Amino acid sequence: MAGPLFEPRVRSLRKRLLMSVSIGTLVLWAAAAALSYGQAQHEVQELMDAQMAQSAALLLTLATKAPASLDGLATHMASLQGASDGSNELTLEFQVRHADGGVVARSPLAPTALAGGGLGFADFDDGDDPWRGLMLATSDGAYRIQVAQSIRLRDQEALEIAAKTVLPLGLFIPLLLALIYYAVRRALKPLDDLAAEVSARSSENLHPLTSTQVPREAQPLVDELNRLLLRLGTTLDNERRFTADAAHELRTPLAAVRVQAQVALASRGELEHQHALCQVIAGTDRATRLVEQLLRLARLDPLARLPSGESLDIAELARAAVNEIGGVGPDARKPVHLAIEAEPPSLFGSHDLLAMALRNLIDNARRYTPPESAITVFVRLEDGAPVIGVMDDGPGVPNEELPKLVERFYRGRETSVEGSGLGLAIVQRIAQLHDARLEIRNLEGGGLVALLRWSQTPLGGKS
Amino acid sequence: MRALLVEDDALLGDGIRAGLRLADFAVDWVRDGDAASRALLDHAYDICVLDLGLPRRDGLTLLRELRARGSTLPVLVLTARDTRENIIAGLDAGADDYLTKPFDLGELQARLRALVRRAGGVAGPTLEHAGVVLEPASRRVTAQGVPITLSAREYALLLDLLGHKNHIRTRAQLEESLYAWGEEAESNTVEVYVHRLRKKLGSDFIRTLRGVGYQLGDAG
Repeated sequence: MAGPLFEPRVRSLRKRLLMSVSIGTLVLWAAAAALSYGQAQHEVQELMDAQMAQSAALLLTLATKAPASLDGLATHMASLQGASDGSNELTLEFQVRHADGGVVARSPLAPTALAGGGLGFADFDDGDDPWRGLMLATSDGAYRIQVAQSIRLRDQEALEIAAKTVLPLGLFIPLLLALIYYAVRRALKPLDDLAAEVSARSSENLHPLTSTQVPREAQPLVDELNRLLLRLGTTLDNERRFTADAAHELRTPLAAVRVQAQVALASRGELEHQHALCQVIAGTDRATRLVEQLLRLARLDPLARLPSGESLDIAELARAAVNEIGGVGPDARKPVHLAIEAEPPSLFGSHDLLAMALRNLIDNARRYTPPESAITVFVRLEDGAPVIGVMDDGPGVPNEELPKLVERFYRGRETSVEGSGLGLAIVQRIAQLHDARLEIRNLEGGGLVALLRWSQTPLGGKS
Repeated sequence: MRALLVEDDALLGDGIRAGLRLADFAVDWVRDGDAASRALLDHAYDICVLDLGLPRRDGLTLLRELRARGSTLPVLVLTARDTRENIIAGLDAGADDYLTKPFDLGELQARLRALVRRAGGVAGPTLEHAGVVLEPASRRVTAQGVPITLSAREYALLLDLLGHKNHIRTRAQLEESLYAWGEEAESNTVEVYVHRLRKKLGSDFIRTLRGVGYQLGDAG
């Protein structure tokens, strides 16, 4: 669904999980194998040293108790060695010497060199071959005995033994990796399902996501998504209704313009012709006004708060509005009075928007009242809350109709007065942006009052 | 032909009224449902152009009431409600035709002519009697093939008589048909126009039924 132009580098959760768990497992396994190998080698060395010590002790006893048998031993050893296949079997080589260095007995493959230094274990070289040897001496010092073993062979043996313990573990690695892959896939499946559900939607479908198996970790995301979908749906519905209403409302003036133009074309008398043309202009003006009001609402609608504002004096606002509108317009016969009953503290708001709201209220009062009606713009404080409004002494509006007045395109059941039907909707929107309320009610004894009441005592001018 | 126009919008109503006058209708224009209801009770109309969204009484309600009284008055609904459901509801409530705004004046006039023609039991595009042929679409009148020039009132009178062939039309009915409100007839105007038509179309073309009214003369 994402555009091909911009594909952000989002890393797959699954890939990351698979990689980190697999690599971690392999590293741990390798470490464990290395450790086991080292351990095994150490054990093997110890075992062999012990074997050497035992053999050396045996020879020492023999040299002490029965020195004569040593000669025969060498011959016997030679025959034994010859009988073995000579492969790199881990054998012990030995030699027995007199204190002066003369060889008493010696196994045929025994190193000619002796370990330097004193008695005990020592590593030494015989030519190029490294050996491990154990040197002992009889208590009277007559004989020295050396048991030796090739370090190459010892290492080889240790390696084989260690490998035998560690390598079988490696056979389980593919199995382990497969298991990890399966577990990760399975754990992330609900997310895949969710993604599939979302991507399978048409843009028309704004119903909440209903995937039943949402993991707890993803639930907040789904909840937020559903809330967003709901808000989007409402907004979209409103927009659609508004667009449909607007198109509908424009139809009548357009139809009028068209008919009047056709009448102008077809009319036979000069007077009719002129009249129809004037009506075309009037119709165009009306459509223009309607479009202006629509644009005004469309601009106000998406605002979450006032785009800008200043500290303003609503009494001054009322004075300016009355001065501006008072003596002009088609209904100049209806005078607009001004009643400043209190000077409220200054408010934070948009001068232009509030002036527009007030103009709309005055305009409504003039349109919907009989000739000679008196209209009053007032400013007062009610329980400390600033109030600005317009009242007239006309017939008022049936109570059941009052709530409908602010509905868009509502013009009143009883009247055929021409207006966009948007004036009060605009006023209400402006009131909302100012944290104020639009109240419309009938006056006792006749007349209608429409006012803006600020919800609380303002904190004085913020500037 | 007398038409009742029910339209609450001042500008559009004014335009339609002018347009209908151009098509030789005598037009009464009312701007709300109650006034329309009263007008329909008080006067005999040949046709009604009805908007649906009206103050005081909705157009559809008005239409149902009219049909409930058994009236066969041809009604053309002219409205901004253009969905298929609206059109079906309008026709089922008793409308004979349905036109949505904005519309073409020529089309409105043609549809009204067709409705009037049908209501008079005529299907063809011309009205004819005794060699006199009237073509409403072009407002042309011929007698035995010769074009005849008629004034607007003469034409309206001829149209009414041709539209009510085989019926006797009283003077009051003819006055109703010829004049809208505010243009009341002199006491003898119908006689004046009958006299003029006879001069142009032949004295036998219209018969006077003394004390009753007028009727087209015997054909041939």
